[in-house]
Amino acid sequence: MSNWQAFQQGHLDPDFAFREHIFAQFRQAAQRQSQAGPMNSSTATAAPKHAFEVRLGDTKTPKNDINALILDYLTMEGYPGAAANFSKEANLAPQQEDPSIKTRQEIQHAIHSGDIETAITALNDLDPDILDKDPELHFSLLRLQLVELIRQCYGGDIGPALDFATQQVAPRASMNEQFRIDLERAMSLLFFDHDSKLSPELQALLSSDLRRKTATKVNEAVLVRQDQRREAAIRALVRMRAWAESSARSSKKKDLPSDLDIGLNGENAVEFQELTETNGHEPMITT
Amino acid sequence: MTMARVQSPPVLTPNKITRSYSGQAAELRALKNKISGHVQYKEQWVEKGVLETIVNTLQSSTNGKEATSYATGSDELTVLCLQILASISSGGSSFLGPLHAVKAVEVALSYISPSQNSPRVVLTALRIICNMTEATSGAPPGHDDLNRLADTLFGPQYLGSLHAILIQPSAGSVIQEQKRLVSRLIAWLCNKDEDHQIHQNALTDAGILDALATMLASFIVARGEVIPGAQDAAIQDGLADMIPEPAPPGACLASTLEAISTIILNSRFRCFMFIYSPAIMAVLPLIEFAPASTEPSASAAAGKSYGAMDFLLPRIPISQTKSSSSQLPQSQPSQVSHNASSNKRSQTYKFTGLNPACEDLDGDDPESPVVPWLIHLVRTTSGFERVAAASLLTSLFKSGLTNPSREEELACLVVPPLCALVKEHMKDTPPSIQQATFIESGMATDWAILEKTPEVLARLVGGSETLQAAAQESGIIKTTTKLLKDAYEPMAKPLVPRPWTPNPDRNMDSDEKSPSCQLGPPGHVPLYTHKIKMRLSTLVLVAGMGAERDDYRKELASQDLVPFIVASLAARPGKPQSPKEKSASEKEEKEGAETSAYGHNPTSVILAACHALRCLGRSVSVLRTTFLDHNVWQHVNKLMKHPDLRVQIAACSVVINLLASCSPMIEPLFQAGILKVLCEQAHSHEPGLRLNAVWALRHLVLEVDDSRKKQILEELEPGWLIQLLSDDTSEEDRQQRSTDADDDEDMDAEATDEEEPHLWTWLGMDGNAKRISSPRMQKAAARLTALRQADRNPARKARNDTIRIQEQALCFIRNFIMNPNKAEDQSKLVDYLFLELGEGRLFGILTNKLKMRVVGAYGRKHSKGRDTAVVLQPRDGIIEQITYILVHIAASIPRHRQLVVAQTELLKLLVNHFDSDSVGVRRALCHLYANLSVQEDSDDWHHCIQRTSELERLGVLLKLQGLENGDADLDVRERAKAAVAQFKTPTVS
Repeated sequence: MSNWQAFQQGHLDPDFAFREHIFAQFRQAAQRQSQAGPMNSSTATAAPKHAFEVRLGDTKTPKNDINALILDYLTMEGYPGAAANFSKEANLAPQQEDPSIKTRQEIQHAIHSGDIETAITALNDLDPDILDKDPELHFSLLRLQLVELIRQCYGGDIGPALDFATQQVAPRASMNEQFRIDLERAMSLLFFDHDSKLSPELQALLSSDLRRKTATKVNEAVLVRQDQRREAAIRALVRMRAWAESSARSSKKKDLPSDLDIGLNGENAVEFQELTETNGHEPMITT
Repeated sequence: MTMARVQSPPVLTPNKITRSYSGQAAELRALKNKISGHVQYKEQWVEKGVLETIVNTLQSSTNGKEATSYATGSDELTVLCLQILASISSGGSSFLGPLHAVKAVEVALSYISPSQNSPRVVLTALRIICNMTEATSGAPPGHDDLNRLADTLFGPQYLGSLHAILIQPSAGSVIQEQKRLVSRLIAWLCNKDEDHQIHQNALTDAGILDALATMLASFIVARGEVIPGAQDAAIQDGLADMIPEPAPPGACLASTLEAISTIILNSRFRCFMFIYSPAIMAVLPLIEFAPASTEPSASAAAGKSYGAMDFLLPRIPISQTKSSSSQLPQSQPSQVSHNASSNKRSQTYKFTGLNPACEDLDGDDPESPVVPWLIHLVRTTSGFERVAAASLLTSLFKSGLTNPSREEELACLVVPPLCALVKEHMKDTPPSIQQATFIESGMATDWAILEKTPEVLARLVGGSETLQAAAQESGIIKTTTKLLKDAYEPMAKPLVPRPWTPNPDRNMDSDEKSPSCQLGPPGHVPLYTHKIKMRLSTLVLVAGMGAERDDYRKELASQDLVPFIVASLAARPGKPQSPKEKSASEKEEKEGAETSAYGHNPTSVILAACHALRCLGRSVSVLRTTFLDHNVWQHVNKLMKHPDLRVQIAACSVVINLLASCSPMIEPLFQAGILKVLCEQAHSHEPGLRLNAVWALRHLVLEVDDSRKKQILEELEPGWLIQLLSDDTSEEDRQQRSTDADDDEDMDAEATDEEEPHLWTWLGMDGNAKRISSPRMQKAAARLTALRQADRNPARKARNDTIRIQEQALCFIRNFIMNPNKAEDQSKLVDYLFLELGEGRLFGILTNKLKMRVVGAYGRKHSKGRDTAVVLQPRDGIIEQITYILVHIAASIPRHRQLVVAQTELLKLLVNHFDSDSVGVRRALCHLYANLSVQEDSDDWHHCIQRTSELERLGVLLKLQGLENGDADLDVRERAKAAVAQFKTPTVS
């Protein structure tokens, strides 16, 4: 497997290895299932098999589909190197032309590392229309930039932060109630020590969560603007599975095993369980 | 400190020659990054005159290396300049003035040719146009003329580029976005007015409709819904290369559907152009389809053959009870009307989506599989795609391209989901939206669906009771009411607010600035624009639902809608109030300052309100209650002198119903001087206005006493009435010929010469030998040629108008001599009429009207063997009115009966119509001959015998007996029976 190669080529952020690991698990599990057939699946115990599980075992999952799903994840979430390697490996046609996915990754990277100005410029180059058409996105980037500035000048000269807030953020905050609240909250960071006594709301601003959320927002916005799906297919698939299970359970025919495993019963089962939660975005991204 | 950020950028200095290319690019890039998303920076830069600099830079950068720049990929400067323009143009309505001052539209359009520019340049240029369109539609009155933009965009110069954009084969996302923007611009800007089809025709002739149809076919391929066997059929017809690649991921189905629907609206020719588009023919051919496993009995029992597409649709139990096919008004039994005032609508002017000009077009074409495919598409898509699919389907349905049996399917499969769609997306607007300048995409989609769906529904159900019933059962009346009421929720500040600024003291020395530096007034916030659009579309739906059935009209009226419709009649509406509230509030306050809270209704809303009132006014009970309570007549009467001719026509159409019999508003309108206005309008050059005015007068003349009748005839001028009636060579035609003499007959002849291959493109016959020899393609080509001729012939439309006006004028005469009270008075009126019009002249005109006419044979210098002449049979309506005039004359005194019988030629012509398809005509004839054979008193005996024998000689009796024995209509049989009895033993009346 070439995950470490890809990592070493430097295209990827450190959590790549983690992802690849999950995918390996995922693939293996799917393979297990498709091969299991009438035989015992790896999880089977002595108990007689439920009718549902027999049907499940009969279902063939083409390996190609699984691979396509993985490639889709890599492409959509912005991992160009991994996507390129994977498509070579799995003998699939690359999903998307290269420049956009690469730029998207650069933008993500810039946001994750707090360099918002670069991110905005790169975003502007990628899609010159997006900031004009999506003021909310622009505002969240500017607010993040403001927070970063405040972080930088913590304990020192707050002039740049104030200047930036006045020039860039305040005019648009005057047009929108939510923007104004967000701005005020960010500005109050100037008056408090950045320590554990900070209120949870303000701490949230300083935590890396804000960067992550903003990065996801940007990625999604770019994808939507290209009239694509905003998220990888697997997210929808997992949600659909959760929905199907719950509606099947709430329906009259309770013809299901009491406990349906997601089928990825490796050591990372927990992470996948998280994925099925309502908001499927954050849990995947763990540093 | 702050102003330092907006100092003159280096690019503004004029020494560009010394400046390096990369230097310029860097500066432009910096500028672009600075202003993107910052309205205030954009304002500052525009006021500093950046626009002119950009346009100059653009021109010099292009002129310098026009040929090489695209090839070498060094069009960086062009891209940057265009991006800056795009960014500025997205700033809102206030930038429109400066942008127009530097001719931004024309500049942008010069970069949309994909063969001369890189994809990015084309895309950015298109974005500028889109942004400006958006800004224009939100601009305050006076700056919101979308038509001007459309005239430029759809001008001959750019159609080629638009076409080239749409046929690019690449699946890349940039190309797809280009196509999306072009489709959207077409749907947005193309003029949908029935009378101005220039844009639609231009887009069709330039092959853009074909290109869009090919794009649609690619969606059919991508969805895997190509008809089985299409490939073989396509090879046979030489269409194999027309089956497109599947649509790529970024392609937009909704905007493609919408653009096609917009182009084909209101024209049979364009509808056929769409379904005969080679790609559509290749993907969805008409093939007999015999599935292996389904029960053959079902289709056999229904008596129709199913195509493969129909198997995608669920079977609908066909109800036997009600079936009113909307697309064939001729086949509808006409209403029983003994007196001519009955509120009968054969063809309403302008507002029907139906093209009445299909006089000599047979309907024997088999239905295209596009129709069931679209029904399937409506069922399987959601959101805006569903609306767009329904819109296209509706356009085909209204032009009569669907089987009559589809009506039931539409009622079950299309109308309910559309109604549900409206309800689903009807959400309360949170207060934060009130002033918001940006609407997040979820809500924007909701709004788009809400704005579009009622309009589509209205068009769909407009002429069909079955479909109206389906919509009513889905609760659309309540929904519509709520939407219209919501659209009149007052708004405190409809204009885009100014953001807080760190430099409030920026000096605004706007006096000496050039127009390219001077910002215009701010535009409206999106919510405001949305509300105005909602007014329009809900009013259109009210009209659609009220078009046919009285109970729906009453239900609509009972929802307290009328105050809102009345408010929509005013350009600056006040608070919509019921009469009680109004009288109460008038005492308290004079309406004044707060009226601005209800915005400004554009002409389109006023027109829609008139149309809604017209439809509701067809109900006598609504006329007598709600309309009277709300003083509708006063509001409408005001509009009769509106400066816009279209408003006059619409207002006049309301007046027609306000003057119908039993209306309590006749007297007040008469007192208010409606007669003079109507007579003036009856002399108008505009045929629509003439028609409606004569129509209204025809109602009025029935309802007044004899002295007023004479007053009306005098005011209308008998000479003018004669002219209206006797004008057979289509006066419009002649007018056109005399006024624009230079492009008259020569142009006409020239057009005939070139017409065939060049003026319009149909890919069906583009030199592929196999295609040219295919019978299917040949048939299609012949059909299209014929339809096109019919569609584009202005004389034909004029002729139609003339005939319809004449029908009303004849009815005017019929009503004029009608006096239900006394035969004596009636005879006086007849004598007065003869005196004013001339007895011989009147009968001459009536005789002429019954003759067949040949038109179009004149003025063709070289028609190249193609026979453009059309033989016109007199229309049923005309025959019926003429007959009733004679009925009324014959109903007065024996002398008049003698006169009628003496018109041998006239009677001979009438006898031919005993086997007319129209029940009304047959019934009227029975009436006439019964009246003619009446014996007034013993003195009349001799004459009466003379009359009956004369009639017998003409073969009347035989015909009557034929009707008595064999007519399909019971009423006609009864009347024929009575007439025959009268004939045999003339009795004293």
